[in-house]
Order: sequence, then C-alpha cells, then structure tokens
Amino acid sequence: MSAIKEKFNQISPSEFFYSNRDLAGFSNPTRSLYTAVREFVENALDACDQKGILPDVHLTIKAVDPDKPDPKPYILTVKDNGPGIDAEHIPLAFGTVLYGSKFGLKQARGMFGLGATMAILYGQITTNKPVIVKSSSDGKIQNQFEILLDIQKNKPIIVKHTTKEVAKTGLAVSICLEGDYSKAGNKIRDYVYETSLITPYASITFNDSKEQKFSHPRFVKEIPPPPTIIRPHPHGIDVERIRRMIVESQFEIPTIDDTMIEKVRKDLGLSVKKLSFISIMDKAKKKWKHLPRQVRVVIALMSFLKMDFEKLNKIQIEDIDMPNKKLFYWDFGDSQSKSVDMDPESEYYKQLTNTVQGEPLTTFLTKRFQRIGPTTAVKFAEFAKFKPEKRMGTLTNQELVNLSDALQKFEDFMAPDSSCLAPLGAEPLEKGIKKFFNPDFVAVVQRPASAYSGFPFIVEMGIAYGGDIKSGGPHVYRYANRIPLLYDEGSDVVLKVVNDTDWGRYKIKGEPPFIIVSHICSTRIPYKTAGKENVADRQEIERELRLALQFLSRKLSSFMSKRGQAEMAKKRANLYAKYIPMIAEFCTELSGRKKEPNYKKMLETEIASENKKAVKEANEIENK
Amino acid sequence: MKTSKKEQENKIKSRSKKADDKQKLILELLKTHGAKIYDDLDNGQFPKFSIPSRSVSNIVYDKQLRQYILGNNAALRSSRNSAQLRSFTQLMWLAFFANRLTTERKSSTLRDIYYSSQAFAVEFEDQSESDNIIVDLEAVTSRAREDFHIFPEERSSIFGDLNIEYTIPGYEGKTMNLANHPDGYSIGPSLTTAELVSTSAEIVIAIEKGGLFTRFVEEQVDKKFKSIIINTGGQAPRSTRTLLKRLHDEMKLPVICLTDGDVYGEHIAMVIKSGSANAAHLRELTVPDAKWVGVWATDIEKYKLPTIPMTESDIKRCYDLQKDPRYQDGIWKKELDVFLKLKRKAELEAFSKYGLTNITDKYLPQKLELAKSL
Repeated sequence: MSAIKEKFNQISPSEFFYSNRDLAGFSNPTRSLYTAVREFVENALDACDQKGILPDVHLTIKAVDPDKPDPKPYILTVKDNGPGIDAEHIPLAFGTVLYGSKFGLKQARGMFGLGATMAILYGQITTNKPVIVKSSSDGKIQNQFEILLDIQKNKPIIVKHTTKEVAKTGLAVSICLEGDYSKAGNKIRDYVYETSLITPYASITFNDSKEQKFSHPRFVKEIPPPPTIIRPHPHGIDVERIRRMIVESQFEIPTIDDTMIEKVRKDLGLSVKKLSFISIMDKAKKKWKHLPRQVRVVIALMSFLKMDFEKLNKIQIEDIDMPNKKLFYWDFGDSQSKSVDMDPESEYYKQLTNTVQGEPLTTFLTKRFQRIGPTTAVKFAEFAKFKPEKRMGTLTNQELVNLSDALQKFEDFMAPDSSCLAPLGAEPLEKGIKKFFNPDFVAVVQRPASAYSGFPFIVEMGIAYGGDIKSGGPHVYRYANRIPLLYDEGSDVVLKVVNDTDWGRYKIKGEPPFIIVSHICSTRIPYKTAGKENVADRQEIERELRLALQFLSRKLSSFMSKRGQAEMAKKRANLYAKYIPMIAEFCTELSGRKKEPNYKKMLETEIASENKKAVKEANEIENK
Repeated sequence: MKTSKKEQENKIKSRSKKADDKQKLILELLKTHGAKIYDDLDNGQFPKFSIPSRSVSNIVYDKQLRQYILGNNAALRSSRNSAQLRSFTQLMWLAFFANRLTTERKSSTLRDIYYSSQAFAVEFEDQSESDNIIVDLEAVTSRAREDFHIFPEERSSIFGDLNIEYTIPGYEGKTMNLANHPDGYSIGPSLTTAELVSTSAEIVIAIEKGGLFTRFVEEQVDKKFKSIIINTGGQAPRSTRTLLKRLHDEMKLPVICLTDGDVYGEHIAMVIKSGSANAAHLRELTVPDAKWVGVWATDIEKYKLPTIPMTESDIKRCYDLQKDPRYQDGIWKKELDVFLKLKRKAELEAFSKYGLTNITDKYLPQKLELAKSL
C-alpha cells in the first residue's frame, strides 16, 4: 500500500470555479450542502481505500444558530481515520483550487479532489469563515490549520496554525457554509445510507442538526483489493495528452559547466586533472555501460568536438542540427560561432539523436502505454503510415493529430487493463443487500471487465425480492465508483435498461417488492453533467448493464416460479379442501343416495401431499 | 271440434303422461350423471366427465340438418385440476339445482340461477359466468336449458287463433285461445310447455318488432290472412324458436319472417331457419323450412323505400356473413350482395311513408303471395 506515492502539483487558478460553481453542484443552499457532504465523505473514503485502512468516517452537520429559518449557516465536519496529510501540503491542498492528489489513472470516487476545495470556496463565499483542518500523518503530532482562500491569487492565507499531540493518524475537515438542511436532509440521509451499502467495510456515523444520530457499522471486515495505477490505453487518449507524454520522454542537452565537467570526470574515475581527448574517449568507451545518460551525452558531444575538458570549458553548445548532421557552438576564446560535422555512422551520433529527437515511435508506444508489445507497435506504425523508428520529438503538429486519430482507430490493441478498477466484489455486495433488505431472494453478479473509448469498466449488479423491501418496485440503487447517485435518475442509463425490461417475462407482476443495485466502476465514469449524478448511455456500458440484468432476472424468474409452485401446491390443497366436499354434497342428492360418498380419506391424502410439495419447494428456495 | 267428455279426459291424461315422461327422462339423465360423480368419489378418485368442446374449431355446419352442430372434439373436466375445480363445482351445483327445479316443476330464469347460487355458497363472478355454466349443462346433457326449467329473461309474444292446453302444475287441462287478448301473449315457460290443440290459421308470421306486431294485430292481419303473428323482439329467444318449430312441425304451419331491411334483419330470419353457432350443441331449435320474405335489399329500390346509410359495423357484418356457409347461394347470398352494393338500409317502418297501413295493405299480400313460390 505504501508504494502508492502521493503526487502534488498545482495546475490552475480558482477564479474560474468561483464563477462556475453551479457546474460542480453548488447551485443553491440545498444542493450545496448535499454536495459538500458528498465531497468530504468521498475524500475520506478514498484516502482510507488508498492506504488499505478500514474507514471510520464521522459526519456532523450543526446549525450555527438553530433558531434561524433555513437557509442558514451550518458547520459541516467530516472526520476520518485515514493517512492524514503532511503539514507542508495542507495549506496548498485546502487553500487552492485544482491542487490534487488524484491525477494517476485508477478508479477513485473523486477524480482530482476538486470538489472539496469547491466546497471550501463555497463556504467562504457564503459565510466568510475559514476552513479548519486537523491532520496527523504520523499518528503523533496533529497540525491544526485555519485557512482562507485568496480567490484572485489562488493562494492560501493561513489564519492560524497550531499543533498538538495525538495517538493516531487521520484528517478532520470542518467548514461553515450556507445550507438548507430541512430540504437537503432526506437526500443526505439517503446518501449516507446508500453509501454504507456499497461500502460495507466502512463504519459511517452521521449526527445531524436535529440531534439525530445515524450509525452504519461495518459488517464486512475485509477491504476489497485496492486498484493499481496504470499507463493509459491508446483508445483513451488525445493530442494534448500525447504532447505531454512526449515532453516527459525527452531529455534536454545538459548545460556544460564546471559542475557538469566535475561529474563527468568523477563518473569516468579520472583523478588526473589534465587528460588528453583520446585518453578520455578510451576511458569512456570502457565505462560506457555504467555511465548515466547525461554523462553519455557530454561524451558524445566531446567526440564530435574533439576537445578535452579544458577546451570544453571555453565553449557553449548552441544547437544540434541532427538532419544536417552539424553541431554549432560559441567559442568564448574567439568570440564567434563555429560548427563541426557529425559522422552519422558514429555510435555517439545515435546517442545524441535519442536525446534530441526523443524515442522512436515503437519504443514510445511499448514503454508509455498499457498492453502494447513490439509486434503490435510495428503493426500500428504501418497502419498509421509512420516509420516505426520515427522520432517522437520530430513530429509536426499535423503528424501529432494524425497519430492521435490513428491511435483511436486502430482496432488491434488489446482491451484496457482492468487492474486499475476496484469493484466491490460479489460477496460483500450480497452481504450488504442481505443486511439492508433481509430479502427472500438475492442474486448478485460481477461482469467481466469491458471498455468504452479506452476506459476500462466493470459492472456489478444485485437483485433482491421480498423481505423488508417495499412494494412498487423495481427500486433502483445506482452507484458509480462506490458513490450513490441520487439526483437526475430519469436520464440515467441504468434506469433506461431497467425500464426497457419486460418484467412480465420474468414472472414478476403487479407492484413487486424488489430492488436492483447497480454499480459501475471505471477510471472515467461518463457522467452526463458535472454534478456527477447520472451516467450517459454509452453503448458498451448499456450492453454490460443489460447482460447483468438479464442474468439476474433469469435467476429471479426461477425463484419466482419455484415460489409460484409452492404457492400453487398450497392453493391446490386449499381448493380441494373447499370444493370436493361441496361436490360430494351435490352429487349425493343428484344421484338420489342417502349417504355421502366415502371420499374423506382420499381428500386428506391429497391435501397432505400438496402441502408437502409446498414445503419442499419452499425449502429449495431457502437452500439456494 | 266436438269430443265426448271421456275422450276429453283421456286426452288430458295422455297429455299429462307425456309431460310426466319427459320429466322422468330429464331426471333420469341428471341422476345418471350424478351417480357417476358419486361413484368416482366413493372409490377414492377425483371425479371427472367429458364435455363436447364448444371452441370455434369444433363448430361445423351440417348440411343435412341445415344447422350448426358441434364436432367430435371433447374436453375432459377433472376435479383434480385446480384450474377446473371451481367450474366443476359450479356445474355440479347447477345439475343439483336443475334436479330440484325439474322434480318440483318450478321455473327459474338465468338471472334467478345466478342469485340462487349464493344460497349454496357457490360463487359466480357475475351472471355471464353462471350463464356459461348453464350452457355447459346443456352441452353435457345435450338438452336445452328450458328442459331443466331454466328460461331467459326476455319475452316475445304471440297473437292469433291458436288453442292451447297448459301442462304446468295447477293449470293442467286448462285451455286458452291466443286471440283473446289484443296485446298478445307472452311466450314464457307455461306457453312453451303447453300442448298445441288446434288452430284455424294457415301461416305463422314472425315479425322482428313490437311496434309492427301491434299494428298487425290492429289491422287484423290474423283474420285477413289467417295467420298467427309472433313478435320475436329482435333476435328470437330460444323459447320462441322452440314454439315456432312446434307450430311448424305439430300444426303443419309454414313460417315466414318479416324483418328490417338490413343485414341484421336478414340474419334474424336465418337464425330462425337454421339456428346460431352459439347453440350448436342443441337440436330442435330450428325451422329449416322457414322463409324470409322481407324486407329485402331489392325491395328498397322496388318499393322506393326511404333509407339510411349503413354503418361501419353493418358493412363488416356483411363481409362476415359472406363467409358463412349458409349464405353461399339463393336469396340469402343475392340479398346480402345487394346490401353491400347499396350500402344503405331500410326499417320496416319505412313503409309508413306511403301510409300507416301500406305495409299490411300492399306489401304483405304481395310477399305472402311470393312466399308460396319461395
């Protein structure tokens, strides 16, 4: 777990979000309170998941002045037992927008950790109170910050910073924001309830502003395996992403100064200060394998310049023109620009090419993307009409676009790696459904991984019938990356698939008491809106949902028919008991007899046998 | 008609013996069925019986009998089958109740049966369910419900010089002339079961509408044309069709039908002549020699009758009947085709345009004359 390194980098200012906050779900006091709860709870769960810690999350919402009418200021606090955040990162993490720790490609609830800063920003706008962050990342010292956000400069203002001793790690974030709990309360309680169903390994408590306490203890002791961070899939990439990857792959020509020369000298193991050019080259050839890249580049340059260290000290490299095989430099001694030709046959020439022009296309593909081997890379180059050895650094803008297009269109790439996904697993899901609904019947399924547009995804689904479930179903519980989706269900792909189903075909009629739990896991959930409440109907996702639902519906159908058979047997027994004596009575008079026919024993045997059948079918359901 | 007192007594005796015999036969029939059920139960088995299938595929037209009959398909009704158990019990109750009615010579109606069931804790969803069970009883026993003293609600009426003698309890031997009351006599259980003694009439005119029936009585059509007039009140009820048959068979009277000039009128005449598919399980309800004399489609032009256009359902009915085997030739086919061509229809009342008595003065004599050649 500890292998997962947090990477922090600062990427963009907060003004944009200030003016577009409704995009992120902060449109009104009701929705904002709900969204803020979501963002902090999800961050807490994500932090614990990443470190393999069984989460204990405590949520409190308290009105600043309980007697005021809604909407009014509330203090929202979310406390977890996660890894905490190092003191040095706290001001930036909570006091700037777009400062995230979640930029790797793997499944997490939030994408970039943006939402939490949005909530802080919203709180500050509406109440002008700082965010209070208490964090301990070592389990000994807790840092407590009060931070305000400088919106124009996108910089944190530390109002107060204190420390104290504690016994365990964890993070507690507290903001003051304007909200409407009387309206948002239902949704927040639903959210906490539904979150605990999909996070059975977490213990979640919620103290609300009306002094009500909702406690959802964990009922699964094992945390599902965490996702791994993986390289991108070629189908899920665009021009901008390729450009960044190329920049990462290129090395700059090192500046040749005293420090550099000293390093080269040391790496070559040269104690003598003055050494001829030829001796240096000899020495380098012997040690080549062990030399770092920078040193190799310097040696290569020296080989063409035919200079020793002393001369090298008096020039500056101006340009390396690989196509024309010329090396330009400024000679401080003569105060003029000079050039030498480079021999393309030389080993050193290749070394420089690699450095200046980047990796060949095939190397770039196999090294920087998931699941591309050398054979596929060559095949792709042919498909995209690039030479396999084409240097990535020499791509023109148009070529870059062509490459990006070809990456999308090439169909022989393997399906995306799904190890970056973290489904809950069939067993915990079933446990959760059983605990929550105490149903007569439950079935769950985890579909194999699939992909849309290069993003892997997995669909998990559960279906349950009877027990504590209310009639009027199917009630659909939608989840994406372990987040319950509560708003905008009308346009959701899951609802679409459920509504398309002809339940009569599965022997489910009337207003049945049954629920469907759907969980989509992906490195990128195709939400329809920034509010992250409904999933778009991507064909591939729709297909997987459909297959999962069909599989479960068939199981439910067989349960229903078994149950139907049991009910039928019982019904038959009742019908016999009711009608056969009547028939006996009528036919006695009709046939002119005095005494009723001797049918009682037959009737008893038959009723007993039907009742036995009913019990047997019921037992079969029980044992399933 | 002059007969000695003794002869008269003997006649009454023989008539009541005939009614007794019929009653015995029906009771015997019910007892046989009851005994089979009783024996099944007594042997520790679920009772069952077979019933002719009344599904469309099993209703066929018999050219010799000139009516629809049921084919050979039969269904097994078992009390073991939980889906059939309820209707099985209902039918057993009905047989049981019919047995009481017949034994005690009491009459009941379809509606009365539905309500009576409640006293025995036998449930019927609605009257159509109990009506259906009554048809089941008819099908199993091949006997009309009237034989079990169960009659429909609707009544048609009769008027004319016909002497009858009642056979129902309390009226045995009592006679009546059906020309004594100008409103006509309602055709109910007592009339249907009465003996037909004598008549001076030479023809029976079955007419579709009550209004015209009254007009015919007022115009003394019975005397002028030596006829018995019967109001069928639309589609003729079974008891009326039974009476028509008896008038034809026992009194040797020809039967003619006078209906509205539309496809439904034509079919009213057809049902009197050859029965309906609904009663394919029963015989003795048809008058194969009955003749339809009007109002024909061709009469509409011939008599320049005021008309109204046919409705969609009229036209659909025409096409449906074109597929019926009984409408494949003769006047039936010809008139149906003309109706379809005209797409217009005329009521019997249409003749009023030419005077209230035009129909009895002009139209009827011509048609009676024509009937002889039909």
